[in-house]
Amino acid sequence: MLSKLMRLTRIAQAALVAAGLYAVPVNAQEPVKIGFAGPMTGPVSAFGNEIKRGIDMAINAVNAQGGVKGRKFEVVVRDDEFDPVKTVAAYRDLVERQKVLAMVGTANSAAMLAVTPLINDQFHVPTICVHTDATAIIENAAKAEGRDNYLFRLGMFGNGQADFLVDSMVKKFGHKKIALLTWTAGYGQIGRKELTRRLTELGMKPVADETFETGDTDMTAQLLKIKAAGADVILHYGTIKEAVSIFQTRKKLGEPMAPFVSSWGIAVPALWKAAGSLAEGTINSNVVTVDGPQSPERQALVAEYYKRYNQEFDDPASFFDAYDAVILLSIAMDKVGFDPRAVRTALENIPSFKGVSLSVDHPVFTRDRHEGHTVDDMMLGRWTDGKFLEIQYDAGGPYITPVTGQKKYIDPVTFGLR
Amino acid sequence: MVFFFQILMDGIATGAIYALVAVGYSVTFTTMRVLNFGLGMWVMLGGMLTYTMHVSLGLNIVVTLIAVVSVLSLMGIVAERLTVRPFVGAGSEGWVMATLAVGLLFVNVAELVWGRNSLRVPAFVGQDVLRFGAFGIYPQNLLIIASSIGAFLALEYFYYHTLWGKAFRAVAHSPDTSRLMGINAGGVATASYALACVLAGVAGILVVPITLADPQMGTVLGLKAFVIPIVAGLASPRGILICGIAYGAVEGLISGYLFSGIRDILAFGLMIAVLYWRPDGLFGQPSAERA
Repeated sequence: MLSKLMRLTRIAQAALVAAGLYAVPVNAQEPVKIGFAGPMTGPVSAFGNEIKRGIDMAINAVNAQGGVKGRKFEVVVRDDEFDPVKTVAAYRDLVERQKVLAMVGTANSAAMLAVTPLINDQFHVPTICVHTDATAIIENAAKAEGRDNYLFRLGMFGNGQADFLVDSMVKKFGHKKIALLTWTAGYGQIGRKELTRRLTELGMKPVADETFETGDTDMTAQLLKIKAAGADVILHYGTIKEAVSIFQTRKKLGEPMAPFVSSWGIAVPALWKAAGSLAEGTINSNVVTVDGPQSPERQALVAEYYKRYNQEFDDPASFFDAYDAVILLSIAMDKVGFDPRAVRTALENIPSFKGVSLSVDHPVFTRDRHEGHTVDDMMLGRWTDGKFLEIQYDAGGPYITPVTGQKKYIDPVTFGLR
Repeated sequence: MVFFFQILMDGIATGAIYALVAVGYSVTFTTMRVLNFGLGMWVMLGGMLTYTMHVSLGLNIVVTLIAVVSVLSLMGIVAERLTVRPFVGAGSEGWVMATLAVGLLFVNVAELVWGRNSLRVPAFVGQDVLRFGAFGIYPQNLLIIASSIGAFLALEYFYYHTLWGKAFRAVAHSPDTSRLMGINAGGVATASYALACVLAGVAGILVVPITLADPQMGTVLGLKAFVIPIVAGLASPRGILICGIAYGAVEGLISGYLFSGIRDILAFGLMIAVLYWRPDGLFGQPSAERA
């Protein structure tokens, strides 16, 4: 009886709305707040702003379709200045006062690790991480205890990236003698540990295991030892500055020299700006590139980015992953509404996805897998004349496509083009 | 053998960079008993300004050199008046913090102005490797070695053969007596501080094609370069040159024959051992003679 009455009331309301006589209840118009705290000012602001540009453009796309269930999306931004303490405060503000319904992760792994337990134990707001690649952000306590895990990720993740780098070199490029050359700081040593673990799993061990310090300007000793060990390829984890020192020293020592492969930490346009042609023929892992032929969807987005921001990309992966993160949230909300707990569950049940960074025919996330990109979705890119070109494989071996229709094979031994 | 000589040669090239920066520490210590603890950041400033003038504005390297030297000498004069003299005059050791604070300020300002990315400055003397049989070396490294030797020779000449140099030495010996003799001791102090800043800036110009320009480029460099005058004896430019080059060579040989992870442990350990054996440095005069 009551429900019949309500239904009648709704029909009457709808009629009045259509006639423009009845205001839609306030909550139906209230925007869906997506939270983002990241470094918006200071020396690493490029990454925070790049993520925000991805969020902004995705929100535009969602709102252009009329939003989700009639509600427009809106981003609430807080500046954490790359400082984990400020990230924690910003997350409290976003969740407790701003009442955001979902978040896109910050640009600092240490900060993300600091807020991970808060998100799972107190906030219960689904958070999709981009840019940060520490394994433990997703492999957190909640996951280990089988509780609901509110952390998801698009982009690289630590152990997956090490698997991908080692497997690509061993299985796709056919290398057997692998040398490690890693930075002594945290990022380099985590990489070194993960690469060694993967090599051990494949029944191998590095033929040389060299390290370098922050600010080292000469790598002669390390590279000569790697050369003396007869290495086929160098796997590197570190920052751009010391990578350039390695490139300079490689050039000085002359051929033959094992080719160079590194993680996505340096796979950004700033590498070519710092290294110039010294980076030619080096390979990095990543999940996306804006160079070379692109899908029409990505092409359109790249064109819009250039038009809107009138600048080159700072970190394409951060932009595209943040874009896809917001689109995935909109898909989940479209399905189950706006309760953060329901949205979290819905994210685990998106059967397939065609995004600009990630495109998959299987569920994007599952209860047990909160990494959107799996090892199969990672790519290698070869720096070629200032462009970071995706490496693909066919019967002739690895190749790049500088322009549509052109195929240039990569010599697996030297990474030179044939 | 190729291994040994290549490592030795590159160690010497790296050591020459340390020596070039290290000379700056010695200049102010000789005259004022003051050290610029932020000297590495002046190196950085020289490097960043080189990027802006030589790369962004496309100015000739000689014009860049003159401009950087002018800017840094002015800044050095101001820094001495504001952050060193008030403390030294009051008999305080506050200059230790003040000189470091100026350096940290530079890093923060540089991060805001230039960002944190490493910026490339092409070598002034060609990018091609010089090859001698199996060995290779960059011309820029040879330029740095030559400049280190040049800086040392110029300083020796300045100290012993020019009027200002003699005034520097007189002030170093006794500021009060030199004042009585009509030497402008305050002016000498300012000039020596500015000279140290300029030397650091020139080091920045020379090393930036090797180290890349970024706000942190001077931090480790300044610290390592600080070891050299301590080991050599702060008052000896000659000793600094020799020790700088030796330190670079030892670093290279440790990385080459042992492993790179223990390089800094051994190198700094060696420094402590030397100080234990000769507290005034290898080339220093025992301090009893000075008193």
